[in-house]
Amino acid sequence: MSHNVVAMILAGGKGTRLGLLTKKMAKPAVSFAAKYRIIDFPLSNCANSGINTIGVLTQYEPTILDSYIGNGEKWGFNGVHALLTSIAPRQTDEGANWYKGTADAITQNIEFLDSMNPDYVLILSGDHIYKTTYNEMIDLHVDSKADATISVIEVDPKEASRFGIMAVDETDRIVEFQEKPKKPKSNLASMGVYVFSWKILRKYLIADKNADTDHDFGGDIIPTMLKDGLKLQAYRFKGYWRDVGTLSSLHEANMDVALNRSDLNLYGDHSTRIYTEDTYSLPQYLGREASIVSSIANQGAIILGHVKSSVISNEVLIEEDAIVDRCVVMEGSVIKRGAKLYNTIVAPYTVVEAGVEVNLKNDEIALVGGKVNK
Amino acid sequence: MHDAPRLGKLTEKRPIGTVSFLGRYGLMDFTLSNFSNSGIDRVGILVDRWLHSVISHVRDGSIWINNTKTGSQRLFFNENLPSHKFNTDINNLLANRLHFEDQDADYVVFAPAFFLMSIDFRKYIDMHIESGREISLIYKKCKNAKEEFLNCDIVKVEKGLVKDFAINSGSAKENNISLEIFIFNYKTLVELVNKTREISSLFNIRDLVNYCATNKLYQVNAFSFDGYVAPVLTFNDFTKVSMDLLSYENRKQLFKEDWPIYTTTHNTPPAQYGPNAKVVNSFVANGSRIKGTVINSVISRDVIVEEGAVVKNCILFSGTKVGKDTKLEYIVSDKNVKIREVREIVGEADNFIYISFGANI
Repeated sequence: MSHNVVAMILAGGKGTRLGLLTKKMAKPAVSFAAKYRIIDFPLSNCANSGINTIGVLTQYEPTILDSYIGNGEKWGFNGVHALLTSIAPRQTDEGANWYKGTADAITQNIEFLDSMNPDYVLILSGDHIYKTTYNEMIDLHVDSKADATISVIEVDPKEASRFGIMAVDETDRIVEFQEKPKKPKSNLASMGVYVFSWKILRKYLIADKNADTDHDFGGDIIPTMLKDGLKLQAYRFKGYWRDVGTLSSLHEANMDVALNRSDLNLYGDHSTRIYTEDTYSLPQYLGREASIVSSIANQGAIILGHVKSSVISNEVLIEEDAIVDRCVVMEGSVIKRGAKLYNTIVAPYTVVEAGVEVNLKNDEIALVGGKVNK
Repeated sequence: MHDAPRLGKLTEKRPIGTVSFLGRYGLMDFTLSNFSNSGIDRVGILVDRWLHSVISHVRDGSIWINNTKTGSQRLFFNENLPSHKFNTDINNLLANRLHFEDQDADYVVFAPAFFLMSIDFRKYIDMHIESGREISLIYKKCKNAKEEFLNCDIVKVEKGLVKDFAINSGSAKENNISLEIFIFNYKTLVELVNKTREISSLFNIRDLVNYCATNKLYQVNAFSFDGYVAPVLTFNDFTKVSMDLLSYENRKQLFKEDWPIYTTTHNTPPAQYGPNAKVVNSFVANGSRIKGTVINSVISRDVIVEEGAVVKNCILFSGTKVGKDTKLEYIVSDKNVKIREVREIVGEADNFIYISFGANI
């Protein structure tokens, strides 16, 4: 069944916990799994779901993200009736306004959505790593005649107090929402992925506009809808899903791919791939003394040293006798002769000088950038 | 791509231009990228057969065109004639007259797909314009003409002009070899192409230039190119050049920093290496999953090498699957070959074994 759906991807956040990786770049533009950027995942998921009208809401350091998005060609959104557009906060008749919260970002773009005239709006985050299609969730929303549908994932009950928890009845209708509760009533955590019937969302956004709230979906809109007795449905997501907002979660998710130890299948059939930018590079080259195990590497990489359990991006050069172990080496970096790196994330275009040892103690994830000397 | 060399079984069902090279390119990508990087945005591809193979490779042509409104990439194809020898590039141009004569260009550059090089045509177009002459040819002084570029045209040059042609039979160590790159004044080319039928219906562009120079109809400029040129004229050339480019010294002469080689994208994920993978001196393209051993080889997209397998001195085209404990040496396997039942296939250094497309062994 085809419905009229517009997706809005929230890509405005800073990603404060990713240090220098997000100093000059929004989090969704950060590199992942040697070849991708985080935003490739929600965008590709939309393409693979037949959702071809997408607004990307940017705010923090959007330049790289905006030029990356371009005309949407990388994910196929340059066809007829397709539209991928970047929407930054702007000056209007009413003054200059930053997006004040996740909901406010949508509120400020009500006119855009009205012009698209969707039946349903899919709200996504630009920070999540997962491979899926949204059709099942949208079908559930329609079939259950819900006003809003929230994607939830089962979490370890011990971890539940870190999340927004949804308590449901036997039809999976949401009966209570708890924000980071000390005594969670279920282990279903909200993923920040929502399907709304547009007419209804629109009403609530307008009401929220001048209210004294944080203008946040999870914190304000959803609880208000629940209080008003609207029908909120839980959609149980099954599969790999990660919020890579910290260095350690970013590192771990990269390792999941390198070590081939998770459900995230990037190698499956061609029709539901994750799409991304293709670079004009030679295939990766492995030298005469090179070794590489339990790792992934992208084209343009030149590996002359030793790589183990790592993620090597394009145009990375690893010189002879260098050792890279459990690392994420991003685009264009150079690891010079004899350098040794353990458990480290290497920012793009970093140069690690010859013989330098990084993170020898290797219990915590290290992050390096720029020029790394002894 | 008319009258292009045959690379044995590799070109049995495809033109030379779409033969896979170095794991991710088609041979024609180098010429197309030369045009692109030289700012030449109106490009025609002359195809004599297997049009479908070219279409699959170039898709909508936007890969090599800078501005898709002001630029264009056209496929020129001629219906099959009673005899293939009449299906020359000139014939193709005449059959596609509407597109060919419609251009308002001043100059046209012809270049083949089988000489791999990085060349900026602008320099030579400038020289052509300055000379005031209507036809130019680009050649290279080869230092190994006894063994390389056999059967290619030798150009005898005098005072920067083409004096005569000959065929390279390997008699001399050094010789000027025509790179079959021609620059014409557009009007001149249109005139000549229309008149060629009166001379011979078997003529192609190369013959035409030869005829013009040797019969003194036009003075043909001879310009020298002294960069790296890898000829791919035989199946052995193909394997030799592939292996040669495993060396950085050779690679950096063909792949220059400011001269990217563009090609089609296939949305393939990064290459993945298993816990017991052992890979040395090889190219590995994205999408490949290597669990075994790979030495001195070219591995294309989506290739699988299982545990215990040893692939040495091989060129595996995309989608090849090498089963557990299989040993391959000096093999070229075409796309989607599966080698599972056989334990060992060993060819020779100057005689690789070719396994055809989709074979199940």
